[in-house]
Amino acid sequence: MGLQKHSNLASYAIGNILKYRTRSTAMIVALIFSTFLLGSAEFLREGVMMDIAASVDEGPDIVVQRLVGGRQVEVHSSWRENLSSITGVRIATPRAWGYFDIGTGNLLTIMGINATDYGNIVGATGTEILPGGRFLEQTDRYRIVVGQGIIDLMSTARVSISAGSILSIIAQNGSLIEFEVVGIFDTDAKIYSYDMIVTDLKSAQEVLGLEDEAYTDFAIWTDYGANLNDVAFRIDTQMPETRVLTRDAMDDIMMKTYGGRAGIIALIWVVVLMTVVLLTFTVSSAGSDEARREVGLLKALGFDTVDVLEIRMIESLILSLLGASFGMSFAIIFDFYLGAPILSGYMLGWSILLLNAGLPLAISGPTIFILYAVAIVPILVGTVVPAWRNAITEPDIVLRGV
Amino acid sequence: MGCAIRTEGLWKSYGIGGPRQVDAVKEASVEIESGKVTAFGGPSGSGKTTMLSMIGLLTKPTRGQLFHEHEELSTVSEVYRTKIRRERIGFVFQAQYLIPQLTAVENVVLPSMCTDTSPRDAEALARKRLIELGMEHRLDFRVAELSGGEAQRVSIARSMMNSPEILIADEPSSSIDEALTKDLLSQLRKMVKEEKLTIIVASHDPVVLNWADKVYQMRSGKILEETG
Repeated sequence: MGLQKHSNLASYAIGNILKYRTRSTAMIVALIFSTFLLGSAEFLREGVMMDIAASVDEGPDIVVQRLVGGRQVEVHSSWRENLSSITGVRIATPRAWGYFDIGTGNLLTIMGINATDYGNIVGATGTEILPGGRFLEQTDRYRIVVGQGIIDLMSTARVSISAGSILSIIAQNGSLIEFEVVGIFDTDAKIYSYDMIVTDLKSAQEVLGLEDEAYTDFAIWTDYGANLNDVAFRIDTQMPETRVLTRDAMDDIMMKTYGGRAGIIALIWVVVLMTVVLLTFTVSSAGSDEARREVGLLKALGFDTVDVLEIRMIESLILSLLGASFGMSFAIIFDFYLGAPILSGYMLGWSILLLNAGLPLAISGPTIFILYAVAIVPILVGTVVPAWRNAITEPDIVLRGV
Repeated sequence: MGCAIRTEGLWKSYGIGGPRQVDAVKEASVEIESGKVTAFGGPSGSGKTTMLSMIGLLTKPTRGQLFHEHEELSTVSEVYRTKIRRERIGFVFQAQYLIPQLTAVENVVLPSMCTDTSPRDAEALARKRLIELGMEHRLDFRVAELSGGEAQRVSIARSMMNSPEILIADEPSSSIDEALTKDLLSQLRKMVKEEKLTIIVASHDPVVLNWADKVYQMRSGKILEETG
């Protein structure tokens, strides 16, 4: 048999979809909802994962914190010498970071760094300065480079920020400190550094209420080719009060945080999809008398069992393709154009600053493929199994009227 | 004329070995001539329909032999039975089983959809078959809009779509009055003559039984007598 027969069977299948409009519509609507739910969570999860990868790339190889009684406490500058002497450590530089308010109610991130150390690291957070500005210099005081989020936030208050602008920051002791913006940095990581201000160590210490020589942690870049875990192990064994976080560990923590939330969405989606499959199965089985008679008629008229299955598979394929495609399209509109209300808050955390830069969203071929596969395969099974049960029955039911 | 179909000791049981075993047809041996009308008569439950099912290869006999032009078909595969049905047999069912949402032409086209016939050729043939049966004024009407007699004609046109050698009709007069029955039977007789068609019917209607060339009377699954 040639292509014409398959084309005829496809025509019959399409005719069936139109013939049983209520059933077809119910299946499509259910599939749209389930694919939309998973799709919008997946696009966001994938974007967050890419964002995490970018922020880990811009961050240090190892972060060393100090733990006393299981609690993170300040690190003293004397650690620098000890850390620098450990084999494999190329740069050990202190950081003073924390959160501050500029009077808008939003908590922003300030990070004090050693300008010389950071300036030597290609691609480190805050060092990719946009034209018209510059990175910090060692002698700078009360000078900052800011992320795009700060500019977006201030623009909502009709304050334009550019190199040379003055920004007032409320310090931990309640005083107002004026900072001069010297540059705006570019970053691929929207979540981590979008709302960040980078300044010198002393200014950050003043804002955060830290004493001189007291820092939040040490950022470490290792020698080229050095094994990160070996260096981390050496730090951990030689300096007892440290908590050593490697790039992989930081990546893991963030992935678990956001991946876990996406996992809950995926779980909800599984429940929804199972409902759709059950609906499909029920619809196929519930109409079993009618369906059996139709199959009996087709077989009596010369349709093979495989022809009947082909018809049912084409029907399911068309319905699930339509449902999945519409569901994905709605997910794209919901995420990319509407900013994924509710879902983004859940996935990213309610307090995170997300302004005009939008959500970290991404669509990849494999995700699209997975979305189609998980929407289509269960529906095919849910439809074809009852169809197969009908298709193997003797066609004499049309004569016997049973 | 030769023998189109022959059965020897044909037997059909349902629910074999169970407490509700039913022997629907017992030891049926018949000969059906090509180009003639053969009828199975008898009251409801006498086994007429089961006999048609076996002859039409819709179900396998429990035992016995079934020949279509000397080819023994009682044990052949489902795929082969389907092929024979598709190429050589047309069916007119008691309940018609037309699809109410489709038009007369669309219903008649149905058997061609499992073949390589193009939709255009199939539609042209369907229209021709319907016109031959006097349905030219109802071609594009939905089945739900047709009378019982018209629906029966659509059913006959559908059965003739693949130009079968054998037409099997189960109670063809059950949903129509006597005048329409006579009209229908004359149409069928015309097809026997013009297309060398072999017709096998099951009916308890005396009009149909008198019209047939040969009648097998059945009771309780057995062939009681042969007339004609």
